[in-house]
Amino acid sequence: MYAKNDKMIQLEQMNVLNDVGGNMDFAERLKTLTEGAKYDVACTSSGVNRKGKRGAVGSAEACGICHSFTADGRCISLLKVLLNNYCEYDCQYCVNRRSSDIPRASMAPHEIADLTMQFYRRNYIEGLFLSSAVLKNPDYTMENLIKTLALLRGDPYNFNGYIHVKAIPGADDALIRKLGTLADRMSVNIELPSEQSLTHLAPEKSKSSILAPMKYVKNGITQAKEELARYKNAAPFVPAGQSTQLIVGATPEADSRIVHLAQGLYKNYALRRVFYSAYIPVGNDKMLPAAPTPTFDTGTGLTHTAYGPILLREHRLYQADWLLRFYGFTAGELFKDENENLSLHLDPKCHWALRNLDKFPVEVNRADYAMLLRVPGIGQVSAERIVKARRVGKLDFTNLKKMGIVLKRARYFITCNGKMAEKINMLPESIELRLTDNHSAGPYGQLTLTDLAHA
Amino acid sequence: MPSNTRKQVDVVFDGTFEGFLSVVHAYYYDGILPRSIQCADEYQPAIIQDEYFIVTSHNNAKKVATAISKKISIDVKRTAQYAFLSSPPDRYDALFQYIVAGFKIGHTIDNHLQNEIVHRVQKLAREVGREAHRYTGFCRFEETTHGIYYCAIDPVNHILSILANHFADRLMNQSWVIHDKKHHEAVVYDGHDYAFVNVNADQPPPPMAANEKEIQGLWTMYFNTLAIEARKNPKLHRQIMPLRFRNEMTEFKN
Repeated sequence: MYAKNDKMIQLEQMNVLNDVGGNMDFAERLKTLTEGAKYDVACTSSGVNRKGKRGAVGSAEACGICHSFTADGRCISLLKVLLNNYCEYDCQYCVNRRSSDIPRASMAPHEIADLTMQFYRRNYIEGLFLSSAVLKNPDYTMENLIKTLALLRGDPYNFNGYIHVKAIPGADDALIRKLGTLADRMSVNIELPSEQSLTHLAPEKSKSSILAPMKYVKNGITQAKEELARYKNAAPFVPAGQSTQLIVGATPEADSRIVHLAQGLYKNYALRRVFYSAYIPVGNDKMLPAAPTPTFDTGTGLTHTAYGPILLREHRLYQADWLLRFYGFTAGELFKDENENLSLHLDPKCHWALRNLDKFPVEVNRADYAMLLRVPGIGQVSAERIVKARRVGKLDFTNLKKMGIVLKRARYFITCNGKMAEKINMLPESIELRLTDNHSAGPYGQLTLTDLAHA
Repeated sequence: MPSNTRKQVDVVFDGTFEGFLSVVHAYYYDGILPRSIQCADEYQPAIIQDEYFIVTSHNNAKKVATAISKKISIDVKRTAQYAFLSSPPDRYDALFQYIVAGFKIGHTIDNHLQNEIVHRVQKLAREVGREAHRYTGFCRFEETTHGIYYCAIDPVNHILSILANHFADRLMNQSWVIHDKKHHEAVVYDGHDYAFVNVNADQPPPPMAANEKEIQGLWTMYFNTLAIEARKNPKLHRQIMPLRFRNEMTEFKN
């Protein structure tokens, strides 16, 4: 197979998971294993309600709870850490790849369990997100993940909080089943949105080795739900569902391909979430795009690397993802015209509305809920409020404002009792001009909380 | 009862939800028409004021609570309970008008979003819910020398009762205290039940357990490591993690 590096040979000799440590102290190992886990963007703790239990520690809330936010604005709700980062694989996009020059470390199951409990009792976290590099082979890696979760769930820890765990592609079905009874959410990362890219950059993985466990988990969830409907004490299996992650910008796939893939995953694999991660170079590999050239800002005296465009692309993909899951859009509708990529200039809903102006303006007093949801600037909350309020009286623009409906974008697409907010030309160009006119903050200043948080 | 026979007064009650419901009861059964409603803690007597102290009655409060659930809706009762915990000085007046309108209109009251009172009370309730939800994540406990976990918070609204409920379920088997510094109140949980106590403003925090600093250090290190340098976004960070929450949070203290 592949040449083993010295670290791994040394590791095999000392049977890493029983005899941890080496010459690093605990804090250093935690740091190393956090560095290795942080590029996995999923950190949601949602999807399952579970009351506390006498004698156990913890509970779970279906809405998810954010316990903190990193300086880059991502929610921290779980202790996200690797069991070890000694990886057999050499996936080019991954910081933990075999050929990457980084410190290596591992933690023993009891160390992970102790740390989780200490953090949980202080309310730092909602639970654990455990992942691992592929050590020896997928089955061996899975067995170690199972060992850790079983320890944490059993006596004396009796941890009853949230657990998200990674399934390792290529592992035996029986191991996936075992792991799924211990965790709330399981995920297998697809990472690269096409088979060609996988073959090129992650030679040890294949589309089928990734999709097989996803299919298995999906069927397991369906089966567990049926059993739970029949028997009160049926064992839960991945009750919070599964998710995956796609890396954006490392390979040439267009947005249209990514969004269609996401749609397929939601439909055929019943995924709860697809996460998108803008590719940030973690090493200088010739197979992958390089980091943007840093520029020196004489004004502030700081060096600045322009990650703006790739982060904005990631943001647009999240917006499109929301349109698929909550707004009744299909991927086909979003890419009807010649564009293969989402507009960076306008959000995907505005973009769609401008290309379908024949459907607008919409009369707020009559339009059905599904159509209200398609109006730029009107979200689920606003649409629900409109539907409620119009039952007891006709709505005009003043009413809408009072109800807390934001009209900044919506005003160009709605009428109240047949009247528009102002006289405008219903032409794509003139509305687009108005929509973008007050974006003086620039296109990067529009990230919102909902785009980053929960399932 | 026609309104001209009512006595218009400045009502003062004891500050409990039962007390407030007793005010509603007094309106319908004793002919009391509140010009303003204040709780005893915040009440400042003016020279020309026609004040009226409402005595809290458990039975009357229960009657009103049942009536709200049955004649208006369960949702309205929940909205009222949450809005009651908010902090603007005129919250009780708004809530009173909301409930009276509810009895008049019935369960569709919540559809009247164009109505300022309805919108206002719902907004207050939402704000309380949102702040409480944030604190379920942002509370930071420290282990003290007595093995009790101590947490200080500084919330705008009176959310202690909501947090007490949450943590009594989640951290069922450990003793903890949540200290609301803003309202000088604390909830104490002993592993079985919780109770609310008043706390002096100058009460110092309890001494920490021996290994507490070490765990805090690990957490702070973990927190800092997790941020990806290339993605740093201070503006977004302030939006989702407002500075006022950070004062009592371990990872922002050091």
